[in-house]
Formats: sequence, structure tokens, C-alpha cells
Amino acid sequence: MVVSCGLFMGLKLITDQIPRKKVPGASIIYIPSGKYLKYASLGYSSLFADLVYIWSIQYFSNHSVPERFQYLTHVFSIISELDPNYLDPYQVGALIAIYDAKDFDTAMEILEKGLEKNPEQWIFPWQAGHYAQMILKDFKLAKKYYKMAMEIQGSPPITKRLYSNAVYELGDYETAWKNWLEIYKNADDKRVKKIASNHLYRTKAAIDIQKIKQALYKYKNKFGQLPKKLGVLVSSGILDSIPQDLDGRDYVYNPETGKIKTAVIPWKR
Amino acid sequence: MKIRAVASNTFKEAIRDRVLYLLLFFAVISLISSRILALLTVGDKIKIIMDVGLASISLFGVLMAILMGTGLVYKEIDKKTIYTLLSKPINRLQFLLGKFFGLMATLFIMLVFMSLIFIIIFLLYSGQITWKFFVSLGFVFLELCLITSVALLFSCFSTPILSSIFSLSFYVIGHLSWGLETLIKKMKPGITKFLTQAVYALLPDLENFNFKSEVVHNLAIPPKIFLFSFLYGIIYTFFILVLAMLVFRRRDFI
Amino acid sequence: MSKQKILEIKDLYKSFSSGFLGKKTKILKGISLEVNKGEIFGYLGPNGAGKTSTLKCILGLIFPDKGNIKVFGFDHLSIKAKQKIGFLPENPYFYDYLTSSEFLHFYSQLFQKQKTADIDALLKLVGLEENKDIQLRKFSKGMLQRLALAQTLLNDPELVLLDEPLGGLDPIGRKEIRDIILKLKEERKTVFLSSHILQDIEMICDRVAILVNGEVINQGRLEDLVSQEILFTEMTVSQINRKELENFGKTLTHYGNKSLIKIYDQNKVQEILQFINEKKGKVHSLVPRTQTLEDIFIGMVKQK
Repeated sequence: MVVSCGLFMGLKLITDQIPRKKVPGASIIYIPSGKYLKYASLGYSSLFADLVYIWSIQYFSNHSVPERFQYLTHVFSIISELDPNYLDPYQVGALIAIYDAKDFDTAMEILEKGLEKNPEQWIFPWQAGHYAQMILKDFKLAKKYYKMAMEIQGSPPITKRLYSNAVYELGDYETAWKNWLEIYKNADDKRVKKIASNHLYRTKAAIDIQKIKQALYKYKNKFGQLPKKLGVLVSSGILDSIPQDLDGRDYVYNPETGKIKTAVIPWKR
Repeated sequence: MKIRAVASNTFKEAIRDRVLYLLLFFAVISLISSRILALLTVGDKIKIIMDVGLASISLFGVLMAILMGTGLVYKEIDKKTIYTLLSKPINRLQFLLGKFFGLMATLFIMLVFMSLIFIIIFLLYSGQITWKFFVSLGFVFLELCLITSVALLFSCFSTPILSSIFSLSFYVIGHLSWGLETLIKKMKPGITKFLTQAVYALLPDLENFNFKSEVVHNLAIPPKIFLFSFLYGIIYTFFILVLAMLVFRRRDFI
Repeated sequence: MSKQKILEIKDLYKSFSSGFLGKKTKILKGISLEVNKGEIFGYLGPNGAGKTSTLKCILGLIFPDKGNIKVFGFDHLSIKAKQKIGFLPENPYFYDYLTSSEFLHFYSQLFQKQKTADIDALLKLVGLEENKDIQLRKFSKGMLQRLALAQTLLNDPELVLLDEPLGGLDPIGRKEIRDIILKLKEERKTVFLSSHILQDIEMICDRVAILVNGEVINQGRLEDLVSQEILFTEMTVSQINRKELENFGKTLTHYGNKSLIKIYDQNKVQEILQFINEKKGKVHSLVPRTQTLEDIFIGMVKQK
């Protein structure tokens, strides 16, 4: 008896070493839809969601299955069907999609589904906007998502700031100015006020510089060259006055290149 | 009371039954394993513990109800202990009710015990127990009442194995019937739809007693559903017990 | 003895259907009998005749197709009737997980408004007082049978129904049970005893009914059924020549110098006694045999 015991224990250790192509539980991929699983779960769907989620974490971190990401949407939609109010999987699913699978569209899909099932969760559009801004540098998309997040009650104040920043990056300076002004007026602490004021400075600078640039262009067309000083634009009647930055300083003009910039960096005022 | 005498005898039998402790053992194991599962998840650990806990209590409660319920009457007939019992001045209804209440008392104790273990594990994770949890447990108990009555009904005329299969089917159908509801919504009005609706109304809907999601996600529960689900459970159980009595009344004990 | 009818059965019919197609087998084919107060009534028949089924009908464990049963003048299913009945089944079996005192306590709770016997006294009566806290799963068959008798007497019943009470007991046990039954008679209780062991019935019953194949083929007082006429006389003698003995009757066996002889003609009994005296032989035993219940029984069964 003791010999047979020792033998089978040894055999187990050996068979464990033999490399086998196996991904436990991968048959979940063949389930057509989360709806069927929900029926089969007989009232335990929340638990099943947990189990599928825990399994999916192990599955998607398993590097020996390179094609595993094609099932990302499917697996996370199963979890969503089983328990739509389970919040973690939406975030983690999007995380895996962006960082491991490098699949931005899937990440957005997952986060949008999370929002659809849980309309009061601002984190999903917020996260989406964040990914759009940070990874894709797509401010149009970021703006859309930040707006969604902003409209949900309970979203943090920074959402509005991120939104306004996106608006700025898209070149809509007028709206950006309006938003930043609002933020400035409604800010309760000094730090936020300073941030807002810096953004206002930058926005104004952008508006002003745009205006000056247009004037320079007109001047060049008329006179064939760039003026030596900005004051010339006024004396030649193109501009009524030279705008100054928010702090009352003049803008710095380089007559050779025609470039205009602010005297100081907005963040270092 | 005579019913109470039979009930307390049934309770004694159940408490001294080794099958009960086997199931209890597995229930405790699965409650403890919820802690292990919590380690594997990314994010909310409390949810996992709550899910496994509620599922274990519910599942093992149902298994206890079925395994012991299907032997309630069958054992008395098979072992012929029913001969001397029914020759005493007790009528068959009192006998059935005594058996039913005896098992319900046992299941109640088991439920309390499992819940206490769960609460201890849960509080160790500094989770918060809301009143919804206890309401959900109450409805689990109501579901167990209904399942026990079904097991009792089958026990009156069938062997334990068949009775277990039938009772389990009742449980499964009870949790699938909302699928039928979805199907009915998609049907075109007509005779088939009407018949299907009739079948749907007759079949048990055990989802009425399922408040697990609400507990886990702390969702709102409309107060009306408490009353209606409760009445549904009580009346359906009553219906099954009457059915059991009809089967049992004129049964010959050969 | 009053002629109050304790148990009346009229035209009892019962058949069972078995098998998938419900083939009907008739078990009881029109049974009628009466049991009077204070008597020990024997219900006699071979295995499978329907004795236990009759008892189950009386107790409401099975429902007859036709017929009428009255106990103490009440309908047999009424609570009033059940309060005065005690039933001892064949091969009794009780709850494994209880002790004998728990078991009797449980049953006594079923007699809600009645006064029941003291459980300890009852256990003492049947000889189980030492085992009262042992679980029944550890009881031997004899012990279970004693406990069964105890539960029968819990409510001090006026009608005691016993189904094969003496089966499987050793001779001492059988005597004890017989004594208890006779004691019940002394207490003016009525006993209905169902058995296929004829010797027991003969010893204690006042009236009997013989059941064969679902029908009562004979019932009445024991003396009336069994004639007192001597059938033959058996004698054991010694020191007599065998051949000479054969003049008087049939010699059955020889062992040593003893011979067993069966004499059918009663006149020859006196003759053989004289003969043995003359020959200086010895008479060891002389047993006149009357008709026994077994004789009647076998005769009746053969007729059927």
C-alpha cells in the first residue's frame, strides 16, 4: 500500500512537469451568449459572474495563448450579462484591452457597456476620456467622454477641467474661455482658482495670438513683409490696439519668424 | 399538541441524521473557501465573499431540504414505523403537518448556524451587514419551505431517488421560469400564447425569493415585492401540502 | 360475561391491484365476524390468508372496497375507537435513533386528552427497565418485541390487537407473553390474536375464526369446533413381545426394549392394560389424543 502511494505521488509530480497545451476552462469561449449562461445559473448569476471574472483574469494573463484577446469582448460581455452591476470587470476589461491587447476600440466598447448598464457610474466615461486623451491623444473623443462624465451627478470637479482642456486642445477657444471662467468663479479653493486662472491666461493668449497672427497676415499681404514691431499694426490701421496678456504684459514678437508667444509660461506665473 | 409531538420526533430524527452533518461540513468548507477566492480577484473582495456565502447557504439549504424531505414519509412506510403510529388516535393530516414542521425547524436551525459562520467570516473582512441580508435569508427560508413541501409530496408516493430528482427538477424549473416569461413577451397573441401563459402561471417562480443581487450590490427593493413574494410563497406551499394530503389520505399501507 | 360486541366486521372485501396494468388480486372476500367483550379471540389461518390485511382494515391502514367495521360501536376510523385500541404488529420496528423511554414518551403524547400508563412501570412490566436509555438501533429482536408490547398497552386499551405476537420468541418469551394475554383477560380486556401457530391459539383462546384464502370458513367457540371424542390412545410399554402388541393396535416405534403403540379402538385399551399386567410388563405412558385444532385446520385447508 505504501509503495503504491509513493508511486502515484511520484507520477503526479512527473506528469505536472510535462508541458501540455491546455488552457483550463477555455471552453467558456464556446458559449454563444451570456444570456444562456444566465438561465443556466439558476439564480446564482452573481456568483457565476465572479467566477468567470476571476477565471478571465487568469486567462488573459496567460502569455502562452497569443490569440486570447479575440475573446476579450465576448468574455466581458458574458460577465456583464450575468451581473450588469458588477463594476470591477468593466474597468479591468478596458485596462487589459488597452495595455495588453492594444485594442482601444474594445476598451471603449467595454466602458460604454458599463455606462449603459450603470448610468450613475461616472467612472466609465471618465476612464474612457482619460484613455482617449492619454493614449490616443484624441481630444475629440476625450471631449465627448468628459462631457458624458460631467453630466453625471457625483462626478468630481476635475472632470469639468479636463473637459475644458480638451475643448481648448481642439481649438475652440471661445468655449474654452467661457468654461474656464465658470470654473474660476465657482472654485472654492485657492489651488483650483490658480489652475483656472492659468488656463484663462493660456486661452486668452491663444485668442490674442490668433488675432495678432491674422493681422500680421493681412499686413504682409498689403505691404509684402512682416512689420518690425507690433505697434506698426496699429499705426497702419489694421488693428485698433495690440492685445495684452491676462496680466497686462505684452506679447513677445519675433519680426524675423513672425512668431508670437507669451512673455511667461502660463504655469509659472 | 399531536402535530407538535410528531414534529419534535421528526426534528430529533433529522438532528441525529449523519447526512445533515456531511452537508453542513461542505457548507462550512465553501464558506471558508470564499476567503480564498477573494484572494484571486482584482478589485472588490467583499462582493466575492458575499456571493459565495449567499450561494452556499442557499444551495446547501436546498440540498438538505430535498435529501431529508424525500425520506420524510417514505422512511416511515418502508420501515413500517407508520403502522403503530397511525393506529394511535392521530389523523393523517396531523401526521403530515408534524413531519413538515419538524423538518422546517431543523432547516431553520441549520440556516441560522450557516448564517452565523458566514457573518463571522464576513465581519472579519470588515464588510457591512445590511438589513437586506437578513431579509434575503428570510426569503431563502421561505423558498426552503416550498421545496420541503414538494419533497414531502413526492415522499408520499415515490422512492427517495425519484423524489429527489423530481424535487430538484422543481427547483430548476422554478429558476428557469423567467426565461419562459421572456419567451411569452415575444409571442404573438393567440391561443398558444394564452396556454403558455397559463402554464407559466402554474409553474413555480422561485426567482421571487431571490434577493441575492440586491444584497450584493445594495440595490433598492420595492416594498410591494416583499408582501407579494411572501404571500406567493405561503400560498403555494399551502397548495402543495393540500396536494400531499390528497395523495396520502386514502393510501393503503400494504 | 356480557355479550357486548367490541368488534364487528360485516362483509369485508378488499382487493389490490398490482403491476402496470393493474391486475386485481382479491385478498379479502367477504369477511364477517364478531368479537365479544372480555374474550380472547383467535384469528387463525395459513400464511397469506389475509389475517394481517384484516387487521390493517380494522386500524385504517388500508381501506376496504366494501364492508363495515365497528369498534365499540363506533366507526373504526374514529378517534374514539382508536383511543381504546392497542396494536402489536408482526415484526415490529421502531425509530432507530430514539431510546425506549423517548419512544414511549413520544407515543404517549399522541393520546392527548387521555391518561397514559407510567412509562417506567410499563418498561418494568415487559422487562426492559434496564435498557431504557439505550438507542433502539441496538435492540435485539426479542427486545423490540417486548417494547412493541409496551407501546400496545400505553393507553390501557380495552381492545388489544396482536399480529403474530409469539413468532420468533424463545420458549420463555412465549410463556411471558401468554401470561400477559391471560392477565389482560382477567382485567376484562378483549384480545384479538392473529396467528398461524395453532398450539398457542389452542392454549388460550375462547373463540376462533379460521381464515383460508380470504374467507372465514369457520368460526365459533373452541370447544364447539373441536370434538372431545378420543381419536386414539398412545401407550409406551416395555418387556412385552412386539408381535403380541400388534393384536391391540399399531406399533409405531421401538427403542431399546420400549415400544410405542397407537390404539384406535377404545375398548382395546382396557384389554391391553390387563394383558400387560398379566405379562408383568411396564406401562411408561398413556396419552389419549382428542381432535386438535391442527386436525380440523388441515382438514379444512385440504377441503379448499
